[in-house]
Amino acid sequence: MIMDDALPLDDALWQRLLELTEGDAALCFQCGECTAACPWGLVREGGLPVRTLLRKAQLGIDQIESELWLCTTCGQCQVTCPRGVDIPGVFRALRQVAWEQHHVEKGLPSMLWSMYWNNNPWSQPPSQRSAWSEGLELEPFDPQKHEILLYIGCTSSYDRRARKIAHALVSVLKKAGVAFGYLGNEEPCCGEAALSTGQQMYFEEVAANTSGIFLNKGVNRLVTISPHCYDVFKNHYPSLNPDFEPLHYTQYLAELVDQGRLVFEKPLNRKLTFQDPCYLGRLHGEYEAPRRILAAIPGLDLLEMKDSREQGLCCGGGGGRMWLETPAEERFAELRVQQAAETGATHLLTACPFCLAYLEDSATSIPGSTLTVLDIAEVAAEAIRGEHE
Amino acid sequence: MSASIYSPAEERKEIWVYLEQDDGALLQITLELLSKGREMADATGWRLVGLLLGDNVAHLADLAFAHGADAVQAGEHALLKFFTIEAYAQAAFQALIEGKPSVFLLGATPNGRDLAARLAVRLRTGLNADCTELHLESPEGLLISEVSGFGGGVLALIGMPHHRPQMATVRPGVFQVNGGTTGKQGELVNIPVVLDERLMRTRILERNIAGSVDISQTPVLVAAGRGVGADLTDLWQLAAQLGGDLGATRPLVDMGLVERDRQVGQTGVVCSPKLALCCGISGAFHFIVGIEKAGTVIAINTDPQSAIFDSADYCIVEDARSIIPELNKALAGAGEVEHE
Amino acid sequence: MSEPRIVVCMKVVPKPEEIRVNPQTHLLERANVHTEINPPDMNAIEMALKLQNEYGGSVEILSMGPPSFEHDLRVGLMMGADHIYLLSDRAFGGADTLATTYTLSQGIRKLGPVDVIILGEESSDGATGQVPQGLAEWLDLPQLTLLTDLSLDMEARCARGRRSIKGGYELLEVPLPCVVSVKTACNEPRFMDYRLKQRAAVADLMTIWDAQDLNTDAECTGLKGSPTTVTGLTAAQLRERKQIHITGTREEIAAKLAELIRQLL
Repeated sequence: MIMDDALPLDDALWQRLLELTEGDAALCFQCGECTAACPWGLVREGGLPVRTLLRKAQLGIDQIESELWLCTTCGQCQVTCPRGVDIPGVFRALRQVAWEQHHVEKGLPSMLWSMYWNNNPWSQPPSQRSAWSEGLELEPFDPQKHEILLYIGCTSSYDRRARKIAHALVSVLKKAGVAFGYLGNEEPCCGEAALSTGQQMYFEEVAANTSGIFLNKGVNRLVTISPHCYDVFKNHYPSLNPDFEPLHYTQYLAELVDQGRLVFEKPLNRKLTFQDPCYLGRLHGEYEAPRRILAAIPGLDLLEMKDSREQGLCCGGGGGRMWLETPAEERFAELRVQQAAETGATHLLTACPFCLAYLEDSATSIPGSTLTVLDIAEVAAEAIRGEHE
Repeated sequence: MSASIYSPAEERKEIWVYLEQDDGALLQITLELLSKGREMADATGWRLVGLLLGDNVAHLADLAFAHGADAVQAGEHALLKFFTIEAYAQAAFQALIEGKPSVFLLGATPNGRDLAARLAVRLRTGLNADCTELHLESPEGLLISEVSGFGGGVLALIGMPHHRPQMATVRPGVFQVNGGTTGKQGELVNIPVVLDERLMRTRILERNIAGSVDISQTPVLVAAGRGVGADLTDLWQLAAQLGGDLGATRPLVDMGLVERDRQVGQTGVVCSPKLALCCGISGAFHFIVGIEKAGTVIAINTDPQSAIFDSADYCIVEDARSIIPELNKALAGAGEVEHE
Repeated sequence: MSEPRIVVCMKVVPKPEEIRVNPQTHLLERANVHTEINPPDMNAIEMALKLQNEYGGSVEILSMGPPSFEHDLRVGLMMGADHIYLLSDRAFGGADTLATTYTLSQGIRKLGPVDVIILGEESSDGATGQVPQGLAEWLDLPQLTLLTDLSLDMEARCARGRRSIKGGYELLEVPLPCVVSVKTACNEPRFMDYRLKQRAAVADLMTIWDAQDLNTDAECTGLKGSPTTVTGLTAAQLRERKQIHITGTREEIAAKLAELIRQLL
């Protein structure tokens, strides 16, 4: 039987995907563990057909579905995959092809234009990037003076809620006596939003530009607020400077705690639970640093949620989803917030501005919910505040 | 410098106002321009003349006289029944080079702007666009227009000392309509309109304007954001009670709760209501652009840190879903709200 | 049936929120201000590229300004445009819309026969919204303004556009060649195709024409050709909102609001 409307296969496209994924796309043997592991299966009928998309990639089928853009790159599939296929990487490659065919979700081109014209994906004026720090008298970064460059990132610079993370972190660093500098309006965007949405070449341009700026400024140790910025600096940037050492702020604060530079005296008596951000936990294996900080604050009772650490449930914000609308009933964060409440905790903490936004949004939309969502930096700041502050 | 078709030396000391009409009625902006024109005419002793173009529209001159026109030049022609740029520009041009007024004002409406822009080039004169204030200086008769640029951050005063007519388009809602004197007389002059059908290049295939949504002109804007949820019944009621209209932020449009024409903001509609009531709106920068020009802004949001409160005159930290029904009751209780 | 030759007129503008008026000199301070392509012109080029996707043909960019515009204009090449023509000469500086549209029209004449000229409805700096119509007048071409949609019929040699007015629309048809202005934000401009990066840097893809190349009348360009003059410039007073809090029980708040609204309206 010959089917006239069978999907055409394109060998050239398959070759391309093979190159773009550095051979990974060939490894999949279609077991389907990925589809089963994907959190989209928890909120959507049929979930996200990860296996099917991998198969289509292998066959060079250029029918790009809009489901391609659902992926949050949380990596749950990757850790489950028996062949260790970099599935988020395959999705990024498929997205790259989708751009070439103009099959992209509405809102993403505007987000990229914003990165290009405004040095941030939030359509905010570049001249306002450092407005969040008014009154804080932060020092312009000087490699001779400063131990670290504090890298705020676009979201914590412009988003009103996320700015509080920045404020909190600054107060903690000052209290610990850390000599840190800031790039102000010259702080360049890390480019992660371009990478995760499949704009590989544009991302490389941003990365080259940003790493060039870091090199010129003599930046070695750099501390980020967002695990997404941390991830691209660590894993996807060209290595121009062998001494370049990006850290997520939880890793840096944990270091300060270990060194005795950051001491928490005031007890905070509360029951809390912690959301491992995908880009810190699963993607980098960093589960301990945030917990070490919390363990150092007297009075905190850390309870673990049902799906924690390697099994952590994604908030739904990664993979470019921060710039796309997700209907309320399809948000992973709604489930996560319920898991948090089930632990008996009054506070849900995280260490990522995207998690913070999604979790807080879901927490406040559940009627009768008393769960407070905070970033670890905010709790740390609370714990160090003396009577005169 | 190249000269305008007619020079200041040849001008008649008259202020002409384009009497834009649609569907047999003068637009609100037309009355606003007549009112301002009357004011300037009184201050300078100049004549105020309306230019009326259309098909079977001469009767509209009475309303123009009532609002201050000393004379109306009426050009009627079958080809002027609906606005096309060729017919209207040609008819207006003929009238202007014949009448040679010093000043020519038009409303900054879509058709008004098109007409003004083409005429200005045809007449080789200047055009001040979207003016927020006009001043006719005595005795030189120089028109100084106030315009804003750079997204409203800069105000400029602009004149054209050596070119005539001194043209300006004015934003609707900038000037107040004067009381008007019913029965006031004026001089109606029927002017010849010569139009060649073969030069009419625009074909109107379809017009769909009646019953459409236009929140840009509403005197009261009730704006809904994500914080109000999916049920907008109470907000619709509030808008109706206040004689206003409903606007919304992008998410509500994307969810299909309201038409796209109701989206308020930088990429939606920029409104200039007397009162804007923002309910459950966080106040992102691109939304604020849509209500910046409001006379008074009232904002209701559960989050005391919301950016909206920076742009509000009255701030209420509450759930709009609880406040609006109470407000509707309170307003209904004391009878209807009337506008000035 | 021929393929359309489409020209997009684009302007490079300073970011409006960064412009300051010097309180002493009353002049605009433009130093260190970031530039961008006038956002409505991005919608114009998107419309042009969509037409090219559908009907074939070419998309050329025309702009008037100093050589420094080049960097931003090349963005258009990376979106898919074929060539940039920059009209640049000291004589063109300080132009108001009459002089600008005159100069642009000379540029169009030098290009030879074109089918559609597309512009954004207004620019974010001057915001006069007069350039498309003025350009059409100089060239004696029909126009379609405030379009959200445009289609071509190359066989019948006409353009059909959906004009957005008063919350509704008109469907209009004009013969080619014509001038079109697009409604701001009527589409989402495609992002640059980075595979075109090397091609976009090629010097040959940009041509600069000066007053001599365009054979412009010196009386009609730049400051000389501008009937309008700025007699005063000030920073607009930023509207300070009162930020008065209304508190109490829900009923109390509603009552206070009702009273406030009655007074206001």
